[in-house]
Amino acid sequence: MREFKPLPAQPAPVKTQGAVAWLRDNLFYSPVSSIVTLFFAYFFIKYSIAMFDWALLSADWTGTTEKDCTSEGACWVFIKAWSQQFFYGSYIESEIWRINLSILLLLAVIVMSFTLPKNIRLKVTIPAFLLLPFICIAILDGRILGLTHVKTDLWGGFSLNVLMAAASIIVAFPFSFLWSLGRRSDMAFIRSVSIIFIEFFRGVPVLSLFFMGSVMLPLFFAEGTNVDKLIRVWIVLIFFMSGYMAEVFRGGFQAIPRGQYEAADSLGLGYWQKILLILLPQVIKVSMPNILATFVMLFKNTTFLLIIGIPELVQTLQTALSNSYWLGGHTLEGYLFVFAVFWASCFSMSLLSSHIERKLDTDNRN
Amino acid sequence: MSVIEQQANNDDIIVIKDLNKWYGNFHVLKDINLNVRKGERIVICGPSGSGKSTMIRCINRLEEFQKGSLVVNGVEMIDDVKNIEAIRKEVGMVFQHFNLFPHLTILENLTLGPIWVQKKPKDEAEATAMKYLERVKIPDQALKFPGQLSGGQQQRVAIARSLCMAPEIMLFDEPTSALDPEMIKEVLDVMIELAEEEGMTMLCVTHEMNFAKTVAHRVIFMDGGEIVEENTPNEFFENPETDRLQLFLSQIL
Ligand SMILES: Nc1ncnc2c1ncn2[C@@H]1O[C@H](COP(=O)(O)OP(=O)(O)OP(=O)(O)O)[C@@H](O)[C@H]1O
Ligand SMILES: [Mg+2]
Repeated sequence: MREFKPLPAQPAPVKTQGAVAWLRDNLFYSPVSSIVTLFFAYFFIKYSIAMFDWALLSADWTGTTEKDCTSEGACWVFIKAWSQQFFYGSYIESEIWRINLSILLLLAVIVMSFTLPKNIRLKVTIPAFLLLPFICIAILDGRILGLTHVKTDLWGGFSLNVLMAAASIIVAFPFSFLWSLGRRSDMAFIRSVSIIFIEFFRGVPVLSLFFMGSVMLPLFFAEGTNVDKLIRVWIVLIFFMSGYMAEVFRGGFQAIPRGQYEAADSLGLGYWQKILLILLPQVIKVSMPNILATFVMLFKNTTFLLIIGIPELVQTLQTALSNSYWLGGHTLEGYLFVFAVFWASCFSMSLLSSHIERKLDTDNRN
Repeated sequence: MSVIEQQANNDDIIVIKDLNKWYGNFHVLKDINLNVRKGERIVICGPSGSGKSTMIRCINRLEEFQKGSLVVNGVEMIDDVKNIEAIRKEVGMVFQHFNLFPHLTILENLTLGPIWVQKKPKDEAEATAMKYLERVKIPDQALKFPGQLSGGQQQRVAIARSLCMAPEIMLFDEPTSALDPEMIKEVLDVMIELAEEEGMTMLCVTHEMNFAKTVAHRVIFMDGGEIVEENTPNEFFENPETDRLQLFLSQIL
């Protein structure tokens, strides 16, 4: 009998094209393309150099006041001088550690949701996430914990954008899950109520919701109670978000194969057991990239809070720009800074999201 | 327990009478009559689309039917949730595509039902689970996730998952047709063992005719939503009565 000998494995061939070949194939493949390429390259380089010079080489970096900005370039001193306001608002300076602690807790829970062993991950992180907003409020407000009371008027800056967005999406989570279940329900009444709710909050601009929140919500509270402005905004954001996320979850439900429902049914699991033990974990998993995308949208929408006078980052910037000690007109620096901060946060979230997507891909491969 | 009607003078574990089912206007099951004795093993075959899956899925109400009656272990299948629960407790099911829960480990897949439906303590459920994993010869995979197992292993886990609920009746819907040839045997072996040692009532949709010859007490041939012919395996394969069955057998054997 002939013996079977497998061939030895060989390394995959390396692509031989170099940078020059790439340039020729993509940028200079015809006379017209060469002209277009050179034309854009000229302007790109010209303005990059000017920008680079303005932002870095001839910029002012050191100092504390307007008078330290003497050069032609950017006045980063302005950003430096206002940086505490930009990040923490008017929060009492000696208490700023409480904001840092809240953000650290948020990061810790996020890291936990990736690193904990798979079998306890959901059991730990879901309750942790759900408790987090309330723990953060307790820390920031301080009264319950016996710390100095910091009124919500003083909360502000970028940390408010972050915490507000996080607290809203977290509380919106269970609600949106219920709405998406309602939309799939067999009961016509529950289904129509869910559809109306979801489509209302998805169809109305968030700005008008904020106005409604400040004007209309107080009508629902008992007379004489003065519900904090931030809480009202929080409620509005929760409703807004749960409308969007309900649709995200609905997509997630549709992605679960019918066999999962059938296996759960044939084991005799009840409705809620089936939902919570079998479907929820899988729906969260497949929806994760969309949840993050929705979160990024909400996060950017928190800048609209300035419309109703809440001192989030952009509102703080406008205060700073109109400050009489800083009349140098640092609008460009200010908005570049805001741009950079938001872009960096959103970009890291989309990196995170594509990381998750890749992980899901490998997980699902059998 | 007034809703649960006792059928005192009938020792058949499944009694299907004049069962009819429609999908919209499509008449998928026509006047199905079938009695299954306790411990009986039945193999169901027939061409694709003949209603085999639909029929056995009626038994644990993965499908509803519009006309006729179905009694499982003395409990009549009606809309009442209590009856449905009582019937599902007695009926386990193994699917073509295994349908394991991908987010749970093998062990968790097996203990989920006992813990949440039967309210068994966790350690007892785990002990039972390990017993059945040994039965299907993969105790070493207990802590893995379904995605890490081969198709044949997954199907054996699915069988063990059903067994953990200690059902009276097991339904199999083409348990080997999604498997590679070399894995079919390992699953069939487990099923044969189960049939011979446990004496469990089994209804199995399959085209594995050797399996039918080895374990079945009765083979049923369905076509066009009807039970066309039923017989002992010997007679079924040697002396098919209808031309329809003859044609079918000539195509698959
Ligand atoms: N949800 C549904 N809606 C409409 N028609 C359906 C539905 N499910 C099944 N059918 C139809 O009912 C008929 C019987 O389907 P069933 O799945 O019971 O066939 P089967 O005998 O199990 O076939 P196979 O060997 O391919 O599994 C088929 O014609 C199928 O197209
Ligand atoms: Mg079928």
